[in-house]
Amino acid sequence: MRASTATAEVSADDAVRRGRLRLDGVRKVLGGKEVVSAVDLETEPGEFLTLLGPSGCGKSTTLNMVAGHLTADGGVIEVDGRDVTGTPPHRRSMGMVFQSYALFPHMTIADNVAFGLRMRKVAAAERDRQVAEVLEMVGLDGMAGRHPRQLSGGQQQRAALARALVIQPDLLLLDEPFSNLDAQLRVRLREEVGALQRRIGTTTILVTHDQEEALAVSDRIAVMADGVIHQLDRPREIYLRPGTDFVAQFIGEVNALDGTAAGFTRDGYACRVADATVAATPAGEAPAEGTEVRVYVRPEVVRIRTDRTSGLVGTVRETRFLGSRIRCVVATPAGDVTAALPFDADVPAVGEEVTCEWRPSDASLTAR
Amino acid sequence: MIRLLGTGFACLVGLFLIAPVLVTVASSLTTTRYVTFPPQGFTLRWYAEVFRKEEFLSSFVLSVGVALAAAAVSAVVGLACGLAIHRYRFPGRAALEGVLASAFAVPTIVLGIGLLQWFAQMGLASSPFTLLLAHLVLTVPYTVRLVLAGLAGLDRSAEKAAAGLGAAPFLVFWHVTLPAVRGPLIGGAFFAFITSFDDLTVALFVVTTDLQTLPVRIFNYMQYDYDPTVTAIGTLMVLFAAVAVVVIERFVGVAKLFGADTEQNR
Repeated sequence: MRASTATAEVSADDAVRRGRLRLDGVRKVLGGKEVVSAVDLETEPGEFLTLLGPSGCGKSTTLNMVAGHLTADGGVIEVDGRDVTGTPPHRRSMGMVFQSYALFPHMTIADNVAFGLRMRKVAAAERDRQVAEVLEMVGLDGMAGRHPRQLSGGQQQRAALARALVIQPDLLLLDEPFSNLDAQLRVRLREEVGALQRRIGTTTILVTHDQEEALAVSDRIAVMADGVIHQLDRPREIYLRPGTDFVAQFIGEVNALDGTAAGFTRDGYACRVADATVAATPAGEAPAEGTEVRVYVRPEVVRIRTDRTSGLVGTVRETRFLGSRIRCVVATPAGDVTAALPFDADVPAVGEEVTCEWRPSDASLTAR
Repeated sequence: MIRLLGTGFACLVGLFLIAPVLVTVASSLTTTRYVTFPPQGFTLRWYAEVFRKEEFLSSFVLSVGVALAAAAVSAVVGLACGLAIHRYRFPGRAALEGVLASAFAVPTIVLGIGLLQWFAQMGLASSPFTLLLAHLVLTVPYTVRLVLAGLAGLDRSAEKAAAGLGAAPFLVFWHVTLPAVRGPLIGGAFFAFITSFDDLTVALFVVTTDLQTLPVRIFNYMQYDYDPTVTAIGTLMVLFAAVAVVVIERFVGVAKLFGADTEQNR
């Protein structure tokens, strides 16, 4: 995608003022079941926010309420301070991109992209200029006269993106936009979309079930399950410091150690697991001393030390070379701890007694 | 060798299909007072005869009028009905679909008898309107089927996308939904026209001596006079159909009508 500097600057200016979305207690009942329960959410203008969760968690329903295709059964949806809860979709200024591309099959790419401008009664000359500009921005110049079926999946999705962006929407809504593409193209297109979004600064809501995708492109991620947001935070925090068991288990691999809260110390919040003391950062409010807690540690942050025998000590049960990482499983009194060591790390021998360590700020702790 | 046989077979089948038409056309040119094939001599006298017989002309006008109305009403009702079945869950939806699907299975003669009774009971006198109603029973189920097939190929997301881009509900329908069923609608209307224009069985039960569609008129005429006027009319009807096909081909493409076009049906 090539830069089109003039537009980028104008849009970025706009975005300073526009694109603040706020959901307050939004609910939706479908078929007698509450699929979205009291969702609260607020975006910064220009932010890239992802709703991440398994299918059926309510993320798409939430997005469709934001777009106006579904009516909320409770709560308030505001854009830049305007209450749009009851506004029909055609009076909200939101560009939406779908998993199925959803291009109009009987129209050329140029006509598809021009559709929103036509609805806004933009004069023909100005319309043509903007269409050409946005098509160039998504790398589809030269495809204007083709029909959607003559384009590859990736090209169709770029056209759909151009169609959504040309109306300079308050919000850009992406509903699993990369899921129909093959793995390589998926990664490339999401990087392009991420870069484009940062350049034009349109507030963007992405819905996906792909955690890697969410981590890669988002400013913040809202992890959803069973109609509620479990955690809303930056990708790094979501990954390293999961706030609920669901978040910990849904994203990546995690070591979960059960223990008893032992209060704040110099290196974070201490926790007794089996006969060792480990430290982590409480997710949310710190639990009272003596309560049952669970510590979540990602394999990537676990370090293996052979020169110490205090802390969480265990016996190496298995090591496996995985290319970019070495997987090392240590049997400790608190259960197996998996470490993903850098490929050039000193690999302990199986059967060796080692200590598992991590920075307390890289692990989280929640009440059980 | 196999290919040669295949081509030969295809030609035979084609000949078999087209032979009756050729016989009709050829025998309309005979100078004899009775229909015969091969024709003896050459004359256009029977064509002049057709235009001299006013009852044939009025029947033609009636047939075309009813057929056009059947085409238009089938398209509109078919679209509305197809949309309702495709979009909404309403009481009786399954029953409606079942009735529409099984309508094909009812022999037209049974339908004719039924309609005769029904119209009599309702006190509806025979008129172009009752004729139209009778033909709609034949044509609407087909149009609904076609529309449903067209709608099945329509991505609902495209309608959402259009709404999001600022199109009010009617504009979404006009710009996105309607183009998706344009082929099926034109095809359905075309089918309705031909079905109505060709129908003899149902019409026989519904018409009166004053009100006869062209097929009924020909049928009745043939019971008493089997002269080449009949084959001349037949030839004119073939010409009429051929012109219709060419015109539609020019504007729409006949292939499109029958779903061969991927763009409209995807």
